[in-house]
Amino acid sequence: MRTLRNHLAIALVLVSVCGVLMLTGQQRPAGPYTADQAAAGRTVYQANCAGCHGPDLGGRNDAPQLAGTQFIANWGGRTAGDLINFMQSAMPPGNATLGEQNYINIAAFILDTNGSRAGTQALTAANTVAIRTVATGVVAQVAPGGGAGKQAKQAKQAGKQVAATPRGLTVTGEAKNFTPVTDAMLRNPDPNDWLMIRRDYKANNFSPLNQITAANVNDLRLVWTWAMNNGTNQAAPIVHNGVMFINNPGNIVQALDARTGELIWENRIGETDAGNSQRGLAMFEDKIYVTTGDAHIYALDARTGKNVWDTVIGDRTLTNYSTSSGPIIIKGMVVQGLGGGGCTRYQSEKCFISAYDARTGKLIWKFYTIAKTGEQGGDTWGTLADTFRAGGDTWITGSYDPDLNMTYWGTAQSKPWMRISRGSGNGATLFANSTVALDADSGKLKWYFSHAPGESLDLDEVFERVLVDDNGQKLVFSAGKVGILWKLDRTNGKYLGHKETVFQNVYDAFDPKTGEPHYRNDITEQQFGQWIQSCPTSEGGHNWHAMTYNQPTNQIIIPVAQSCQEMNAQKVEFVEGGGNGGGAARRFFEMPGTNGNVGKVAAYDVRTLKENWKMEQHSPFMTAVLSTAGGVAFVGDMDRMFRAVDVKTGKVLWETRLGTSVQGFPMTFSVNGKQYLAVTTGLGGGSPRMVPSVLDPDVHYPNYGAQLYVFALPDRR
Amino acid sequence: MRLRRLIPAGAVAAGFVWMAISVVAQDSMKARLSPVPADQKTRADLAGSGSITSTLAGTKLTINGTFDGLKSPATMAELHNGVAAGVRGPVVAQLTVTKGTGGSISGSADLTPAQLANYKKGGFYVQLYSEKTPEGVLWGWFLK
Repeated sequence: MRTLRNHLAIALVLVSVCGVLMLTGQQRPAGPYTADQAAAGRTVYQANCAGCHGPDLGGRNDAPQLAGTQFIANWGGRTAGDLINFMQSAMPPGNATLGEQNYINIAAFILDTNGSRAGTQALTAANTVAIRTVATGVVAQVAPGGGAGKQAKQAKQAGKQVAATPRGLTVTGEAKNFTPVTDAMLRNPDPNDWLMIRRDYKANNFSPLNQITAANVNDLRLVWTWAMNNGTNQAAPIVHNGVMFINNPGNIVQALDARTGELIWENRIGETDAGNSQRGLAMFEDKIYVTTGDAHIYALDARTGKNVWDTVIGDRTLTNYSTSSGPIIIKGMVVQGLGGGGCTRYQSEKCFISAYDARTGKLIWKFYTIAKTGEQGGDTWGTLADTFRAGGDTWITGSYDPDLNMTYWGTAQSKPWMRISRGSGNGATLFANSTVALDADSGKLKWYFSHAPGESLDLDEVFERVLVDDNGQKLVFSAGKVGILWKLDRTNGKYLGHKETVFQNVYDAFDPKTGEPHYRNDITEQQFGQWIQSCPTSEGGHNWHAMTYNQPTNQIIIPVAQSCQEMNAQKVEFVEGGGNGGGAARRFFEMPGTNGNVGKVAAYDVRTLKENWKMEQHSPFMTAVLSTAGGVAFVGDMDRMFRAVDVKTGKVLWETRLGTSVQGFPMTFSVNGKQYLAVTTGLGGGSPRMVPSVLDPDVHYPNYGAQLYVFALPDRR
Repeated sequence: MRLRRLIPAGAVAAGFVWMAISVVAQDSMKARLSPVPADQKTRADLAGSGSITSTLAGTKLTINGTFDGLKSPATMAELHNGVAAGVRGPVVAQLTVTKGTGGSISGSADLTPAQLANYKKGGFYVQLYSEKTPEGVLWGWFLK
């Protein structure tokens, strides 16, 4: 009897083991590629694709997921050869090409990450194997700094070529003249400094420096330049007391002598070189605060670059997160937004803004940007279960009013993009696509304004909140991808007015009292399989290229884009762990009435919202607008032009052509009485680059050349 | 004798007045032809450009224009009544088009009051098709 029982037990174990083996075999079917190809593809992917699609292939903003159930839903029925051919014809955006073997290797890496298993057969562009037959969509862990999945790790262990860059403090030195940054300095910055992204708490992108003027700007000369690491680059360098801090793509943070360009220290933070550059850096006391694409916050010693602390944002046992914005320092707290997987995935924890002790990295508060059932705003998601409410990313740094003690953030749209995919009915989906004003001490919501209730066309309202005091009013301005410049009372969120900066056909009316927009009927009645047109597009209207408030002229000067699109919603399965940061096909076309001019910069009177002047051109603008007390505004474009314009007229006063697209946040500072002007070039950037690659294929630029340029007037003799 | 001279002169003057009124009554708009919605893969096939003028006399809309630079010969052109500027809508009339990679587009249509109102709001567009792009190659919206 005992023997029989033992035999049964052994048989049961054997059956279980076989079952597990069979299951494992089903999860990792043999793919038509080799481990070497997957490992090489990982390197190429991280260098060229991760900036938009994410290091984990999870998709970011408008770059679709390349690993997971949605990837299999989109590509499972097509072949690996189709995938290679598509990438060859369309990726990366622009006119660049990576070469056929690199595309093949990237395809191998994608298959490997989607649960396929390397074999002995090399992948070719002629492959006719359906992706679904070899890949499960069960995502293999993309090891930080290493390969994708088991095969790449094996290749690495076997000494095969897997790129690795040194991490940590790679150049040592000391910023000897660094002085601690106080709370008072952040509230009232020295005119010579640029202490945070967009310069001040009000996000005005305005400098009181006036050595460079409309009269002499034409004499600007290049003083020094600094080559940056390749990758998606939207850098916003900061300067304090003659020291510049800059974050390169690949998580490389550097301190430079702002006058000469001499390198002081370099820290390659984190475990991986993957990821885009973060837009903002922040500083407080004796530390620099930097975020990484995989949503860590690092505090570095500003003098030496040494790591002080590292905080991981969010619970990584649940999901991955990402950041691209960089933090803002408020009353000794590092306040940071969030994006990526955890904000788009169907899960219990929602996307959030969070604050950390600047001295220790300890979490102080969180504000969730997606309302659950029973919470304020929780009834704006129709009948959608809490698990399937997603979006509300905060991928642009907020602003702060010390007097009101409120911090202002824009939130991104709910996900997936289109309401028919999202299943949220015609609900507003709070607090997505809103302005949220939070108590700075507690993170509690003081007020909100829903700019685009139930947004359905990838038209974010996440961008900068610009604080302006005018005529006794405390105002907050913002603009989203629809291109509407919103004017609110920042004490309470009351609507005060709006201006359409570009042609838009998304809304056909606005409530004159509340500003609530009314959508075109075909947008609210959208169905699967139906193309829905809209002007503008995912490119914007307005995008991450921040506006400026020019205080002397009382104008908002804003860069916008003019293009149209049509979108076709995809079905997104309602399963826990699923979700989609996009979930729609898109096609783009010229905006009617623009004569093909995609780029526009225009100035609006703060009080009347009247358009004072505009400058239109074929190439889109790819930088924030910087304005100064010298009466000059600076802006750069995809066609490599960097220009100074008269803030009163928009007339071009000076221009120079740089190495590749001028992209990032121009800024100005002064050292030893001399005013300098800095701007970066770079690539990547999501829809603002992808849409023009369809509409403006005649705008050519090198697919490399991230660089920092610093200009100044010649010394007086 | 004097009256005999005045009658033709008056007739000529009346003719000029009528012509002037007619010109004023006509409502002209222009459309710039550019590629129909494209993605990075399809954009390469959507070459070409063009310019079209629409003239409204009463309820009759007359279309005249040119195009060039297509990658394959044009097959047909249609006048559409969109939901709004930049938003697709149904066909109002077939137009005459040169069956080449460049040429002319012309035609006319009698508009209903609702179509007339939408035309004046910028809701009308022309779409051109070619052998290689059966879903359309160029389109353009009539705007002032």
